[in-house]
Amino acid sequence: MMMLLLPHREEEEEGGAAGRRRFPINDNADLLAEVLGRLDGRSLAVAGCVCRLWSAVGRREAVWEAVCHRHVAVGRAGAAGGTRSVVAALGGYRRLYRLCIGPALDRLAGVRRQGPAVSSSSSAARHVSLSLALSLFSIDCYERLGGVGGRQQQPPASLLFLCKPVDVS
Amino acid sequence: MGRRHGEKVGAGGRVVQEARPQRITSPAVTANRAEGNLTASEQDAGPGGGGGGGGGGGGGCRRGPDERLRDGDSRASPSCASAEPGSLLSSMPEPPRSDPNSMIHRLLPVPDPVPTKSQNVLSGPDCDELPYKKNISRKFCGAGSGSSSSWRRLQSGSMKREHQGDWYGGAVEGGEQEKGKGMMGVGAEDEDVDELLAALGYKVRSSDMADVAQKLEQAEMAMGTGIAASDDALLSHLAADTVHYNPSDISTWVDNLLSELNAPPPPLSPPPRFDDSSSLDRQNRFLELPLVTRRASAEVYEPMPVPAPPAGRATGRFAFGSDSQLDVAPSPRDSKRIKFCSSPPSSSSSTTDAATSAASPLPVVVVDTQEAGIRLVHALLACAEAVQQENLKASDTLVKQISVLAASQGGAMRKVAGYFAEALARRIYRRLPRVGVGSSFDSVAFDDMLHMHFYESGPYLKFAHFTANQAILEAFAGCRRVHVIDFGMRQGLQWPALLQALALRPGGPPSFRLTGIGPPQPDNSDALQEVGWKLAQLAETIRVDFNYRGFVATSLADLEPYMLLGQDTDDRVGADDIDEPEAVAVNSVLELHQLLARPGSLEKVLRTVRAVRPRIVTVVEQEANHNAGTFQERFTEALHYYSTMFDSLEGGAAAAATADSAGGRDLTMSEVYLGRQICNVVAHEGADRTERHETLAQWRGRMTSAGFESAPIGSNAFKQASMLLALFAGGDGYRVEEREGCLTLGWHTRPLIAASAWRIAGGP
Repeated sequence: MMMLLLPHREEEEEGGAAGRRRFPINDNADLLAEVLGRLDGRSLAVAGCVCRLWSAVGRREAVWEAVCHRHVAVGRAGAAGGTRSVVAALGGYRRLYRLCIGPALDRLAGVRRQGPAVSSSSSAARHVSLSLALSLFSIDCYERLGGVGGRQQQPPASLLFLCKPVDVS
Repeated sequence: MGRRHGEKVGAGGRVVQEARPQRITSPAVTANRAEGNLTASEQDAGPGGGGGGGGGGGGGCRRGPDERLRDGDSRASPSCASAEPGSLLSSMPEPPRSDPNSMIHRLLPVPDPVPTKSQNVLSGPDCDELPYKKNISRKFCGAGSGSSSSWRRLQSGSMKREHQGDWYGGAVEGGEQEKGKGMMGVGAEDEDVDELLAALGYKVRSSDMADVAQKLEQAEMAMGTGIAASDDALLSHLAADTVHYNPSDISTWVDNLLSELNAPPPPLSPPPRFDDSSSLDRQNRFLELPLVTRRASAEVYEPMPVPAPPAGRATGRFAFGSDSQLDVAPSPRDSKRIKFCSSPPSSSSSTTDAATSAASPLPVVVVDTQEAGIRLVHALLACAEAVQQENLKASDTLVKQISVLAASQGGAMRKVAGYFAEALARRIYRRLPRVGVGSSFDSVAFDDMLHMHFYESGPYLKFAHFTANQAILEAFAGCRRVHVIDFGMRQGLQWPALLQALALRPGGPPSFRLTGIGPPQPDNSDALQEVGWKLAQLAETIRVDFNYRGFVATSLADLEPYMLLGQDTDDRVGADDIDEPEAVAVNSVLELHQLLARPGSLEKVLRTVRAVRPRIVTVVEQEANHNAGTFQERFTEALHYYSTMFDSLEGGAAAAATADSAGGRDLTMSEVYLGRQICNVVAHEGADRTERHETLAQWRGRMTSAGFESAPIGSNAFKQASMLLALFAGGDGYRVEEREGCLTLGWHTRPLIAASAWRIAGGP
C-alpha cells in the first residue's frame, strides 16, 4: 500500500508542481554564493559547516566581500576595484571580516545592548567604516610581517582591543 | 624601493630614560600600631583610620574624642563600613606656615607630639569649613542612639593623649550619645580607642566641649530627624547630598554647621553613583580631591594655579563634583565660611576650607578606602610641598606614609600613588636613574617595547596616528610624489594605515617616501632599517611605490634641512619625476616636548622643519602643563593628569581583559611606560627632565611664533576618531573634542592628548 502510494504521491507532486521547478541549491554554486553573500558573518561561518560545497562556496572572497560591504559604511564608492586588490594583498575579505569587522561589529552591538543612554558624542559613530577597518587590518598585517632574518616578533596585538570583552561597568 | 642604513647625525643630547621602578616600602609599618589595631578591630574603617599611616600610631593626634564618636557613629550605620572623615581630613595638608615644622605636624600624625601646637590648634576659632562636619552630623542623626559604654572607653582611651584633659564628660554626653554609638560599636576596645583617637584627628579643646556638644545638639535638631531618619543605611547617606566636612575642630565645625543650616542650602547635585567596588568612582573621587584641596590652598597657600580641566566634570559621578561649584571662585557663601585663622589652624582646616570653597552641597561618599584615598592624595601633595621647601625630614616621613597608604588602595589609585611615591623618593634621596645616552643597553629597546604596549592598551596612540594620517592624507590630495618625515619612527605603526589609505585613494597611490628618525641603538642593531624593511614589504604587497631612509639622531636638534631634503633624486630615474616637487609632511607624535629640556632646541627644530617647506606638520602632544611653575604646581598637575590616564587605562579596554595575559601584560607595561614619565616629571630637573609636556595653547603659541599657522583638522578625522573610540571597551569614557581646529582625546572631561596640524604661515 505504501509502496503504491508513494509513487502515486510522487506523481501527484510532480504533476501538482508542474508550475514550480525544483532548484536544489547545491546544483548551482553561484546562486548559493549570492544567497550566502547576504548573510552576516557569523551565519556565513556556520553555513560553511553544512557540507563541502557550502564550505567551499562560503570561503569565496566574493561572498565575504559582499558580507563586508553589507556591514560596513563605505565612505566613498570609488575605487572599488582598487579596494579589492588591496584587501586581497593584505589577506582577503574573509580575514578582514574575521579580524576587524566582525569583532568591531560585536563590540558595537555590545555597546548598543547596554542601552541607548550612551554618550551623544559617539552616538553618531556607532558603525564601522571600511576605511577604519582597513586601517586596522593593514596594521595587523604589518605586524605579522617577519623582520629581516626572521627575528622573533611579538605576536601581533594591535587588534586585541577589539577582542577584549566589553567593560560593562 | 631604496633603503639606506641609518646615518648617525651627531651626538646631541637626546636623553634616554632608564628607570627601574622600585617600590619604596615603608619601614614604619611596625610602628603603626594604630593602623594595625584599627584594621584588626574595625575592618570597615580600614587603614584610613590608622593613625595617619606610617606616621606612627600614637603620635601627634591630639584629637578630641568627639570626632571619634562621630566617626564611630557614622560607621555604626548598618550597612557599609564608613570611613572616618575626621581622620581622613586630619591628614589633609596644611597651609604653609612660616614654620614648616608646624605644618608637617599638622599633617599626618607624626610620632613627636607637640602639645603646645595642638593647643593652638584647638583654640583656632572658626577656621574650618563645615562640609565634612555636616556629613558627620547627618550621620549622627541617622545613626540613632549611641551607647555610652563605648564612649566611656573612648574617654578612657583618650586620657592617654597628652593634652587631652577630661573629655566631655557628662556635659556633652547627652548630645553625644548617638554619636558615640556607631564608632564604639565597631570594636573600640580599650587598646584600640587610643589609636582611634589618634587616627581620627579630632581636635577639641576641653573647655569647649560643653559648648560644642550643645551646638551639636542644635545642629542635629536643625537638620531634623526627618532627613536623617530616612537614611538608615549608610548607602542612602552616600546617595544623599552629604558633604564631607572635617570635624577635627569641633567648635568651629559646629559653628559653621549651624550657620550653614540657617542659610538656605544650595541646590543639591545628583547623588553620586556609589559603587564600592567601582574603582572608577573611587578614582573619580580621587581625582576630585586634590582639586578641592588645591582650591583651599589657593586661599591659604601662596597662590597656586587652579587647573582649568575641572570645568564640566560630570556631577553625578564624582564625589566632589559640581562643575559650577568647582569653577566658581569662593562665593560669598563660601567666603562666609572660610574663616582665616592666623594661629596655626588645625590640620583639617585647610581641607575643610577646600571642601567648602569647592561647593557646599557636594555629594560625598564616605568609605574607608575613600578616606584613605583622600588622605593619600593629601599626603602626596604635602610631600610635594615639603620637597619644594627642601624640608627633607618631613618629606622623608611623608613618602613613607604615602607608601603605606598607597598599599591600602586598590586599582589605579594605588598604582599612581606608587609611582608618584617612588618618584618623590628618588627626588628626595637623589637616587636618580641615569639619564642619557648609553645609560643602559636595552633602554631604547625597552622604551620601544613599552611604547608598543601602550599603543595596544589604549586608544591614545591610535587616535594620534589616525588623526595625523588623515591630516596628511588630505594635505597630499592630488600630489604624485609625497614625502613624510617621521620624528619618532619607533616601530612604524603609524604608516601601514597611511600606505593603505594612499593605495586606495581615488587616482591611485603616489610614490611614497618615508624618512624615519630614531635614537641610536646601543646594541648596534639597526631598528630603523628593520622597520623600513617591513614597511617596504607591506608597500610592495599593496603596490605602492615606496622609498625609505632612516636617520639616527640623539636629538632632533641635530637634524639639518639638507639631510632631510637631500638625496631626493638619487633613486629617481627620469626627468619627469624631478620636475614635480615632492609634497612633504612632517609628523611628530609625542616628540617635540622633549626638546624643551634644552633651550633653543625647539626653535632650531622648527626652523629646520620650516626649511623643508612642508605642506603639513602634524603635532601630537600630551595635553598637560608639566613644564611651568614651581615643582609643586608641576606635581599637582602631573598627579591629576596621570591619575586620569591610569583611570582611563583601568576603565578602558585593558581592564576587562586582565584575565587575558596579553591584555594584562599590556596594561602592566603601559603603566610602567607612564611610570617612567612620572618619574621623569617629578624626579628630574634640568636637561634630564625631558617630559616637559605643554598644553595645546602653549604649543599653539610656539608654533605661531615659529611661523606656522593652524591647519584645521577636518571632520573626517573627527568621525574616524569617534568611530575608533566606539570600538574600545569602556569607550563611553573617552571623549573626542574639537578645539579650534585641533582634536583632543580625553577621559571624561579631561583632555589627555591633543593632535594638531600646521602649515607654513602665509601660504605657499
